[in-house]
Amino acid sequence: MMRISLMLGPFDLPYVQRALVEIALLSAGASVLGTWVVLRGLSFYAHATATATFPGLVLAAGLGFSPLLGAAATAGALALGVAALGDRRDAGRDTATALVLVAALAAGVVLASDVFHSQGSIESLLFGSLLTIDLADQAAAAAVGALALILGAVLGARWLAVGFDPAAARALGVRSPLFDAALLALVAAMAVVTVQAVGALLAGALLVVPAATTRLLVDRVGRWQLATAALALAEGAVGLWLAVELNAPPGATIAVLSAAVFAAVAIARTVADARPGRLENAPAGTAAP
Amino acid sequence: MLTAIGSFLLDPWEQAIDRRALLELTLVGVTAAALGCWVLFYRLPFAAESLSHALLPGLAVAALAGFPLVLGGAAGLVVAALAIAAAGRAPRVDRDVAVAVAVTGMLGIGALLALAPETPPGLSELLFGDVLGVTDGELALTVAVAALVLVALALLHRPLLAVGFDRRAARALGVSATAVDAALLLLLAATLLIGVQALGNLLVVAVLVGPAAAARELTSRMAPMMALAAVLAAVGAVVGLAVSYHLETAAGASVALTYVAIYALARLAAWRR
Amino acid sequence: MSRTLIAAHGLAAGYAPDAPVLTGVDFEVRAGERVAVLGPNGGGKTTLLRTLSGDLRPLAGTLRVEGRIAVVPQTERSRLDFPVSALDVALMGSLSTLPWWRRPGRSVRRRAREALAAVGLSDHADRTFGDLSGGQRQRVLVARALVQDAPVLLLDEPYVGLDAPSAAQLDGLLARLASDGRALLIATHDVEQARGWERVLCLNRRQIAFGSPGEALTAQVLKATYGAELVEVAGGGLLVPPHHHHDHD
Repeated sequence: MMRISLMLGPFDLPYVQRALVEIALLSAGASVLGTWVVLRGLSFYAHATATATFPGLVLAAGLGFSPLLGAAATAGALALGVAALGDRRDAGRDTATALVLVAALAAGVVLASDVFHSQGSIESLLFGSLLTIDLADQAAAAAVGALALILGAVLGARWLAVGFDPAAARALGVRSPLFDAALLALVAAMAVVTVQAVGALLAGALLVVPAATTRLLVDRVGRWQLATAALALAEGAVGLWLAVELNAPPGATIAVLSAAVFAAVAIARTVADARPGRLENAPAGTAAP
Repeated sequence: MLTAIGSFLLDPWEQAIDRRALLELTLVGVTAAALGCWVLFYRLPFAAESLSHALLPGLAVAALAGFPLVLGGAAGLVVAALAIAAAGRAPRVDRDVAVAVAVTGMLGIGALLALAPETPPGLSELLFGDVLGVTDGELALTVAVAALVLVALALLHRPLLAVGFDRRAARALGVSATAVDAALLLLLAATLLIGVQALGNLLVVAVLVGPAAAARELTSRMAPMMALAAVLAAVGAVVGLAVSYHLETAAGASVALTYVAIYALARLAAWRR
Repeated sequence: MSRTLIAAHGLAAGYAPDAPVLTGVDFEVRAGERVAVLGPNGGGKTTLLRTLSGDLRPLAGTLRVEGRIAVVPQTERSRLDFPVSALDVALMGSLSTLPWWRRPGRSVRRRAREALAAVGLSDHADRTFGDLSGGQRQRVLVARALVQDAPVLLLDEPYVGLDAPSAAQLDGLLARLASDGRALLIATHDVEQARGWERVLCLNRRQIAFGSPGEALTAQVLKATYGAELVEVAGGGLLVPPHHHHDHD
């Protein structure tokens, strides 16, 4: 009994409790959006919008307004630019996006070190400040999470149909630019609230990695989303605990933990798939074509 | 007016520290710009960006253990490339997703290492470069690598063109696509190493892709493109460092922003035509 | 005289405004007709189907389609790694009839199960789509079209990779759909099969012929359509050798 309460010690601290609540709220949104990010090929877009929050965060800290607003402004600008550039992933678009991201990072650095003289904050903006989460962050995470759950429930079938067969989507009546725009906007909003916790560079740790991991184990969207929520919450909680115990940056700890779990599951899955005699992986020749 | 411009362009180089930074950046710029033309032609900007982000742990280990950044960068590159390649083999998830997982994990490891309390604060230099602090050793290495890469690019010019245009036809012509790919990746690795010295691992993509992409908007043949890119890179280095000197802004970030500005101007010019 | 469901006049189709891949398309399809769309690879069959389905806009000419269109694409183009069951895919067909905020309810799910039964896959409703064989996936996509309940069906090479029993099953299914009053356009490489249907449309970058098989499938038309791919066999017949497609299973 004493052991357990000692182990759970970190969670007695109020700022750790706030961090845990934040993680729980973010896991809800990430569970829904993670699946769509993976299924609809939006992992680079998620990374880009998250990175783009950096200069906005610096501005907000320097001028004294809400970091959520700063992040939303610059991430929103990038999201609009991406949407304007169109749908195809081609080399020209990759180049433009990569350069815009570099410019965002460089602009943030110049603002932080030379305009606001706040270079000390660069690290926490890039890698997160989970232990200084406040009520505004939690409220924003809850709002975006709720929106994600609602829109996911309503539009999910359509997002799925377009991802599965884009060419037939128009005939199916699901190829509406509004549905796609809603998804892109939602992912950008999720990136904005996630970076408050894990930083502009590590948003993938909550948005992409848990969903990718559970995809290796689950074959249906509904169960996949539940598994992602559970995994994101578990990784967030364990990562948080480890970070407090070891005095390490929590965002980075969660990122490393989630990547390690992915690696372990991927290896296990590859080994399991390669075992001879596994029926479901034999070509379905047992049933008549 | 002319004296103002003259003073703007010439004042920064009174001090040796700035002259060395200029030399370093010019060498890095010319090399990266020439190679960058091939990176674009082979559609590798995404891969190059992922690699550069993912090599943070190597840099952090070098900084922690006190050995030269370039060694850590080299080791970090190998580990990063292996991690990205391994992740790409994960079943059921797209390559993009797998690369995102690998990069997130590597950035996390790098941050953990660099932010461990015992380390003297140095993460910013790893991420954004420390071009004003370039040592003689680092400068010498840059000269060597730049020479190596540029000579290699000259020698490999025709095979690179052949494989880039049409892999299958190249094989028929007796050029091994695999060997050319490997050579290009090695040259990319070497260039990233000296680039990271100057601009840090988050900003190096600016010099690798910016001048080359700008040149690509303005000309379509490879040799003139490489030359134009190199010139733009050198100009960018001068202007960027001059701006950084006069406005007292971070050197690496200012140069990176200059390269992106050059790209934007080139796109504008091409669009107008 | 049954209703005209598709009418194309002077239609040109392609992917870029100044580069049509297919020109001079003129035909009408009535309810109850099965139309074979014949032509070599790259000759414009898929482009035509994509233009008919609304995925591409016509570059010239007019195109009129009555009612909804259901698309049964080549199975290679579906995402085999998607976490969906056969039933989930069939259900996708219902999305065009539901308002955007509605999710498929019980009666729709029943219709989807019935559609799967109609194609002989009731036992496989809950299996992962990617785990099914090529022929089974093809039939799931037909089931999706059935759920859509559209008067016009476009099928892009549905017979590829099917063995004889499954092909016969698909034949029967298509005949039933046509007799129900639907119009079917079926891209195929099998000229002999096309002789059994109501109309043929021969394309090779332009329309070579359109009409009943008896009228349209002359040696001249076949030569113009398939060009070098044609093989003369002893006895004076002309044959289009079966195309190799990558293994579906």
